[in-house]
Amino acid sequence: MVADVFHSVAAKYDVMNDLMSFGIHRLWKRQTIACSGVRQGHKVLDLAGGTGDLTAKFSELVGESGQVILGDINDSMLRVGRDKLRDLGRVGNIEYVQMNAEALPFPDNSLDVITIAFGLRNVTDKDKALRSMYRVLKPGGRLLVLEFSKTDNEALSKLYDFYSFNILPTMGKLVANDSESYRYLAESIRMHPDQETLKSMMEEAGFEQASYQNLTGGIVALHRGFKF
Amino acid sequence: MWITLLTAVAESALEQLLNKEPALAVQLAATQHKTLAVTLTDLELCCALHYVGEQQGKARCFVYGNYQDQADCHITTTLSTLQELSDPSQLTRLIREEKLDLEGDLQLAQSYSKAFAGLNIDWAEHLSNHLGDAPAQLLVAQCERAKQRGASHLGILKRTVTQLCQDELNVAVHPLEVRQFKTHTRQLAQQLAALEQRINALSEL
Repeated sequence: MVADVFHSVAAKYDVMNDLMSFGIHRLWKRQTIACSGVRQGHKVLDLAGGTGDLTAKFSELVGESGQVILGDINDSMLRVGRDKLRDLGRVGNIEYVQMNAEALPFPDNSLDVITIAFGLRNVTDKDKALRSMYRVLKPGGRLLVLEFSKTDNEALSKLYDFYSFNILPTMGKLVANDSESYRYLAESIRMHPDQETLKSMMEEAGFEQASYQNLTGGIVALHRGFKF
Repeated sequence: MWITLLTAVAESALEQLLNKEPALAVQLAATQHKTLAVTLTDLELCCALHYVGEQQGKARCFVYGNYQDQADCHITTTLSTLQELSDPSQLTRLIREEKLDLEGDLQLAQSYSKAFAGLNIDWAEHLSNHLGDAPAQLLVAQCERAKQRGASHLGILKRTVTQLCQDELNVAVHPLEVRQFKTHTRQLAQQLAALEQRINALSEL
């Protein structure tokens, strides 16, 4: 079902992201890059990377000596991302790999940084995926999880619920001609673990110094964990 | 999120500058793929600048807010001291005077300082692409005159305020005198209270 959702929205994914978040997703991603510590020569995995927003920035940061892998389980999303990045002239240090987050196709201790932005909630076995990420990270490496989360502010929460279940599907219908996928998006956000639960899950997978920061009142949270 | 938004604006402005002033990009070549972090203690803010060089024919850089990672050069100072850094020769003096703490590569800080201090933007040239030569020249000349007038007024204002403060200091009561006056007032209030008690006691007899 998740695969069908992303096959359906792939072509209009970027437009819908800008529309749905009023462009704020760009700031959330900027914050992720600022916290990534990515440097020249690093090997970075942008998991569930979709249309490659983070990959584009990381490819500049790692330089020619580094490598960025754009990984996604959905081939439609991967194709859109690859076309977009090639059109932007981002070639040379980017690889595109269709992969399952639960069984990452990399050797142990081989990556410096892994990011997964708005992707973890779509993974069936999140614990298995987190363990897999921990396995492939080098000692000193870090994982960044950018994901929708729970807001403490009651007024904001009510407004957000109204927006998610009423306006979002209508927007999806008008722009991408697909309201069901955007209804799924709202529901999957509500099913996703809250900040503290995800932090505990990261710690159970082995990550150390796990922490999170709320963005936009907790609508989105950026989790960070290290492997030492 | 406001810091992230501000850094996004700063990054965009800096990239515009880098692409319009190729000399700046050349001077920053030595800083390529190195991170300069600046912590402003009075604002409790750490920002970082990471110049990545040319990408697809355009100079690119990253400006981070709330930076928490290791930087190649990390400066800790205040906002007012930061303005003095526009002169690279002041760097060592500021460190000696403990107005500034620097960790890491001193040359990186000097390279940035030198590159931005030597910046001489030809605004008329850049504006002429949008407005035409004559209006751009006129606008820049007007702005220059306004800047000079502003600087002159600011100088006068500073002198006036300084003079007023000095005059005020001459006639103002010294803090020690105020403290002594307060002590005397308190003593007097205590004596009055004691006298009131005695009068009350005598009137009850």
